[in-house]
Amino acid sequence: MSSQWRYFAMRVLLMIPVLFLVMTMVFLIMRLGPLDPVSAILGPEAGAGARADIKERLGLNKPLWQQYIDFMWTLISFDLGQSWIIQRGLSTRELVAARAPRTIWLGFWSITLPLFVGVPLGFYAGLNSNSLGDYFASFMGIVWQAMPNFWLGIMLLAVLRQTGPGGQFGFLPNWYELGPTTQSLLGTPDLGFMSIGWLAVIPIPVGFDIWVFLSALKQVAPAAFVLGSALMVTEMRIGRTATLEQVHSNYVETAKAKGLKGRTIVWKHIFRNAMIPMLPVMFSEIGVLIGGSVIIEEVFAINGLGRLFFQAVYQNDMPLAGSLVFVFTIIALLFKILEDFLYTVIDPRVGFEGER
Amino acid sequence: MSIETQLHDTASSQEPIIDVKNLQTAFFTDKETILAVDGVSFAIRPGQTVGIVGESGSGKSVTARSIMRLIESPGRILEGSSIRFTRTGTVQTFATKFDGQVVDVTKLENEYSPAQLLEDPSVDATPQEFDCDHVSEVSLADVLASGYADDLGIIDEDDCVFVTGGTPQNPTDGFVEITRVSGEAKRLMRGGRIGMIFQDPLTSLNPVYTVGNQIKESLRLHQGLRGREATEEAANLLEAVGIPDARRRVEEYPHEFSGGMRQRAVIAMALACEPEVLICDEPTTALDVTIQAQILELLADIQEERDLAIVFITHDMGVIANVTDKVNVMYAGEIIETAGVERLFENPKHPYTRGLLESIPGSQTGEKLRTIDGNVPTPTEPATDCRFAPRCPKEFDECTQIHPELVPVDGEDEDHVTACLLYPEDRSTPQAVEYHQRQARGGEDR
Repeated sequence: MSSQWRYFAMRVLLMIPVLFLVMTMVFLIMRLGPLDPVSAILGPEAGAGARADIKERLGLNKPLWQQYIDFMWTLISFDLGQSWIIQRGLSTRELVAARAPRTIWLGFWSITLPLFVGVPLGFYAGLNSNSLGDYFASFMGIVWQAMPNFWLGIMLLAVLRQTGPGGQFGFLPNWYELGPTTQSLLGTPDLGFMSIGWLAVIPIPVGFDIWVFLSALKQVAPAAFVLGSALMVTEMRIGRTATLEQVHSNYVETAKAKGLKGRTIVWKHIFRNAMIPMLPVMFSEIGVLIGGSVIIEEVFAINGLGRLFFQAVYQNDMPLAGSLVFVFTIIALLFKILEDFLYTVIDPRVGFEGER
Repeated sequence: MSIETQLHDTASSQEPIIDVKNLQTAFFTDKETILAVDGVSFAIRPGQTVGIVGESGSGKSVTARSIMRLIESPGRILEGSSIRFTRTGTVQTFATKFDGQVVDVTKLENEYSPAQLLEDPSVDATPQEFDCDHVSEVSLADVLASGYADDLGIIDEDDCVFVTGGTPQNPTDGFVEITRVSGEAKRLMRGGRIGMIFQDPLTSLNPVYTVGNQIKESLRLHQGLRGREATEEAANLLEAVGIPDARRRVEEYPHEFSGGMRQRAVIAMALACEPEVLICDEPTTALDVTIQAQILELLADIQEERDLAIVFITHDMGVIANVTDKVNVMYAGEIIETAGVERLFENPKHPYTRGLLESIPGSQTGEKLRTIDGNVPTPTEPATDCRFAPRCPKEFDECTQIHPELVPVDGEDEDHVTACLLYPEDRSTPQAVEYHQRQARGGEDR
């Protein structure tokens, strides 16, 4: 028992060097790469004097090791610095605070698809392997996976846009008038559906506007669908394999020989064992979500963190881009810790160093 | 050990608890149909250990799994097979619990006669399949239980309790037909009446639940114990199978147990259901020899204590000699020799049994280890010859043309039978061959 938790603590401690290494890499890539924030600020025709002036102010003329220490300190102290170009002078913390909820909103609805459709489908296919349903699910899965998300996003937009009156897909329900009416497929969802009151220092929800909630959901739905669909297929396929492997294992036969009900065997015995290989897959999707949000937020014009990062890199906003990678890394590592925790809870063999 | 001597006095006189009749289990693959078990019959008696021995692929495990009803698609137990659980107490329990699935055979006997049913064109059966020489010897229960009469609409598909004496409410005689049980009845039979121990103790426990949890699962299911009471009983069971410090061990996971310990835990789990029959499918094959001896001793003790009937499946002749009372030698899906354990080892008759015994390394002299050349064939069609003939040192022409029947070795004693054209030994070979042919047709000369 205790060896299990020692193992877990070790995994958590190991995150620190990982974070350090990632940030060093990011620093090197940015400084050694072709990013030129000075030209981005002044435009390509600026004189040498103005360039030197700006360089001085941004601290770009300091020796590289000193820049490195400044960069790392900004991150470690969670100061995160400020934007140079996109929102000049605005602190990264303010930018993140304003944009993160939209990305979280998108991410939340994205994982509902893999979690509530992909996983159950995978279990179904595994439990009914080689049935017609299994073949159908597997086939659709391959087709689905073959569509990259930026392409799927554009296709979905093209179809939805044509569902209005006179459009080529007019036979489909009009997306713009389905549920809360929306003006555009693109754009940032309005998340003001929850009014927050303060009880001393504790925030408590005091009001909830279902209509605003629904329109926020509708605004983000196509993007979430695209982002989630690739993950859904991965989870379905891994879920199928994992379940299938458990179905044919000896302990299932033992359980049957005990006279257990089929339902108990599936939910108590097979499910938990099948979750073990599923967990890392589910959590590795956090990375896919972050990476995917960069592209999808750009395609769907959602002003979230992903889009902010895309713009920061595109417009040479070095400190903003660096700080955002730091934030993404922290999020990924936190989920990694959660994964290790769940893994330790589900599988008693974790960290066991006896004879096997 | 004393189980053999102790049981020889009582066992043979007792009524069987499970009666396997003409069991046929086939696997239907795209390429071919594999008759993994092809017409096996034997009986299991309380307090007795029946051994099933044979090479890999001889159908031992499929026989065991058929009795447990663990055969899954593409495998199926064929029509004409019958596995009867005959203990009256169980029949009464099942008749009360599943009163919609009871067949009152006595009542049906007034309406139907076996001869009449067998003549029906939709019934594709001969008296020989019921081990009878003539139609007049076949009982109605035989025909109904083996599933031949399903199409005639006499009994429902899920009827599994056959009452041949007394009333359906209070049966005094009858059996539960294992090949027909389904749903709740099947689960009550599994574990609760027949327990099973598998070959590989390393994988037959679920790795993510504690050993105690898995034993308690059985206790709750078959004895209705819960909570603290169940934990207590689980610890007692672990103690009973010789696991020291049982109270702490209940809380441990399978990976914290050694191989031998795990097999003990699996045995404890099977015992938790309080079965009357225990099927052991090579329970010691994955263990080293010292542990093997301990487990065999444990099984013997448990048998003595609980008057269990044990079916012991192995390919190890040494183990068979050690634990069983009666031995069935299987080859390519068929039983080819049956005898009491001492008789079989002293005086094996079938060339295959002889080969098996000769290939035990310790009992040989000379430079080279004597073995039986070749492999067990995969039976894909009903036998028309002796399946062992290609590997048999005593093969002669008729072996490839005539399928040998199980006949008494000396022509009389039903306790030692073998399926070889060389026997009965009191006849000359041509006479014996003729005898087998007659037996196959139904033995009308008698």
